[in-house]
Amino acid sequence: MPRVPSIYTDFFYEPLTEDVEELLAHFQHTDSVRYEDFSAIWRDLGFSDIFMGINNSSEMKRFSRITLATAMKFFLPPYSYQIRVGGLYLLYAFYQTQLASPTVKIRLALKDWTHVQAFLRDSLKGGHHDVVYIYQKLVVTKAFHYTAMPHVLAFMKQQKHKTSDRCQEFLSRSTVVHELMSSDILDEMASIQSHYEKLKGATKEVSGTFTMIHQDFTSRLTECMSEFITWQQKTLPSEANKDSKTGSDIEEAAEESSSRAKRLSSIKQRSYSNLMGGSKSRRHRNIQMVDELPSRLEQVQRAEASQKKRPVSLRARTRKSLGVTEKRSIQGWHLSAPEEPALK
Amino acid sequence: MAESKQTPDANTGIPEYEYIDVNTKPFHVGSFRDEWLARLRPEDFSFQQEDEETFEANFAAEMGLGADTMAELKSACSIDSLRCHPEDEQLSMDDVPSNPRLKTLIQRKRKQERASSHNIHKNRHDFYADELERLTIGRPPEMGADRIPKGEVLLTINIYHPAVYEKFNFTRPCMTLLMTGSHTLTELRDAICCISDLQVCGEFSKTPDVAPDFISKDHFKSAFFFFEGVFYNDMRFPECQDISITTVEWAKAHNFPQYSQAKMEDTRFVDLKVKVGFPYLYCHQGECEHIIIITDVRLFHKTDCLDKNLYPLLTHKHRSLTQKCAVCHVFIARWYTTNDQFAPSDPCLFCDQCFRILHYDTEGNKLGQFFAFPYTDRGAFN
Repeated sequence: MPRVPSIYTDFFYEPLTEDVEELLAHFQHTDSVRYEDFSAIWRDLGFSDIFMGINNSSEMKRFSRITLATAMKFFLPPYSYQIRVGGLYLLYAFYQTQLASPTVKIRLALKDWTHVQAFLRDSLKGGHHDVVYIYQKLVVTKAFHYTAMPHVLAFMKQQKHKTSDRCQEFLSRSTVVHELMSSDILDEMASIQSHYEKLKGATKEVSGTFTMIHQDFTSRLTECMSEFITWQQKTLPSEANKDSKTGSDIEEAAEESSSRAKRLSSIKQRSYSNLMGGSKSRRHRNIQMVDELPSRLEQVQRAEASQKKRPVSLRARTRKSLGVTEKRSIQGWHLSAPEEPALK
Repeated sequence: MAESKQTPDANTGIPEYEYIDVNTKPFHVGSFRDEWLARLRPEDFSFQQEDEETFEANFAAEMGLGADTMAELKSACSIDSLRCHPEDEQLSMDDVPSNPRLKTLIQRKRKQERASSHNIHKNRHDFYADELERLTIGRPPEMGADRIPKGEVLLTINIYHPAVYEKFNFTRPCMTLLMTGSHTLTELRDAICCISDLQVCGEFSKTPDVAPDFISKDHFKSAFFFFEGVFYNDMRFPECQDISITTVEWAKAHNFPQYSQAKMEDTRFVDLKVKVGFPYLYCHQGECEHIIIITDVRLFHKTDCLDKNLYPLLTHKHRSLTQKCAVCHVFIARWYTTNDQFAPSDPCLFCDQCFRILHYDTEGNKLGQFFAFPYTDRGAFN
């Protein structure tokens, strides 16, 4: 039975994904979003050789499609801002160095448009001119295909590829809880609560009959947040966890993760003009702090969970949606078959 | 309709996955196009190439960059920054470099070494896979009325063999067609080549010389498409009947959800509400059913074939092996016999000459007992 081999319909290719992850890991270590740093790593690894050795033109087209799809994956959430910048640079690099003719285009799906626009807005705010320039260059050279979905779909199940540990590093993590902890809101809340208790005690009619709020609200909230932070530290390996030999204290973990958040936002703050040695007026200008993109971690995990479950077969779905009852036992595929003889 | 969910996506035209990487939820093609056109600038989807210098001047003005910064930016992001080998180094792109560091290259080298040792024959399917595309790529875009207007939607449709061919049950599409949004479903129907359309009905053992003057395609003109609970019938000709009415009435009688009907010739692709990557049905000849999958929907690009007259455009055609005559193994079979006392097997295929030599005498009289039917080979479309 000649099945179409899955190499023709695969969306990704594992050795290529590993190479790309290595490049992005190097890029992440540089702590910069400048194109010069990216292209230096690209040249150092000799990445443009990746198109060598393909003799078949259809194989070349297929491989170029896979490289662009891999780069696109890292350009979209849930990855951190720096990795997304790396993904954009990769898109540019793969598009320019590909050997297929006519060139294979980058597929941009409608549902990802908002993410791309948000990314560009953040880059503009941070003054990252090279990021915006690279993107605009791709638009102007008509490198994009504006499509419905990121991949060509033919009702075929894809093989699940395992997300490596390194990939976990690339994801942007929720820092909202850290920010809440570091801000003074909790202290304010505690003081307001004590004030409220005092007032309540003063009014003799009210005290003891009802309470608007739990007595230990602030402490319970702090407990929940610390729990979340430890969970985050535990489930997602971070550089700090890898280095520390002893178990980290909760406050230490909170500190490290908040320092990570600060590091990421500082990367964003280092705009292009700073590197170029902008004019004096620019140096003293207040650079807006770009907020961390909202965490898509839960979304990734949900997507992964749904991927882990086998999608229900078409036959079962049809039966379910048509409300087929057990009594009738109508089998859809028998519709065009001749009737079974009554006697067997 | 089985899939009518009240999600905002179904109404706004933004396609979303129903099952990740398998197929999407139903969306309206016209709304999808409008959504894209609303988000893009006209220059983004036009077929003209923007001038590079104008772009750079505009960019510098927008960002408020000085000429020096712009020049630095341009040189830093140029293609030279991606060059991994010195310019004058002559490299053959057909060979994997020695001592590769990247995992992709190591894997590729290993495969090449294995392939050369095994002496694998070239697959004829791969060989011809791109042939059709090569014919249309690079055609200069036509001017005037024959040119596709910018912002048009391009659909890639896979048509599969009927499920009776067990060999092709697994995913190898029979043909891949490119269609524009303004095409009607009848144009898709006319473009689908199925061997059952060319079959001739009737037994011709007594009169082999009578050229049958009709083929099934002319005789049985009815056909329908089934998309998202709607049967689209072909009603162009007076002979066309509504063959979907049977199914619709049966469904009503058996507590199935209501199916509706529409006319094939009145429906364009932009009016359809479909799922990408989901199998649908095309039925003709009353019982010949093909699965149809819309694999891709996107806006037209300047490198696509922009000549309207060439659409529906065939980009891939499966090449079937032709069945040869059982006697000479040279010519393609034209006759199919059953209950034949002269044939080595039942049923048996013959080319025209061998058939006449074996079954008829010099005067043309029928010898022996047999039934003969004209046979159209599957490879007739190669």
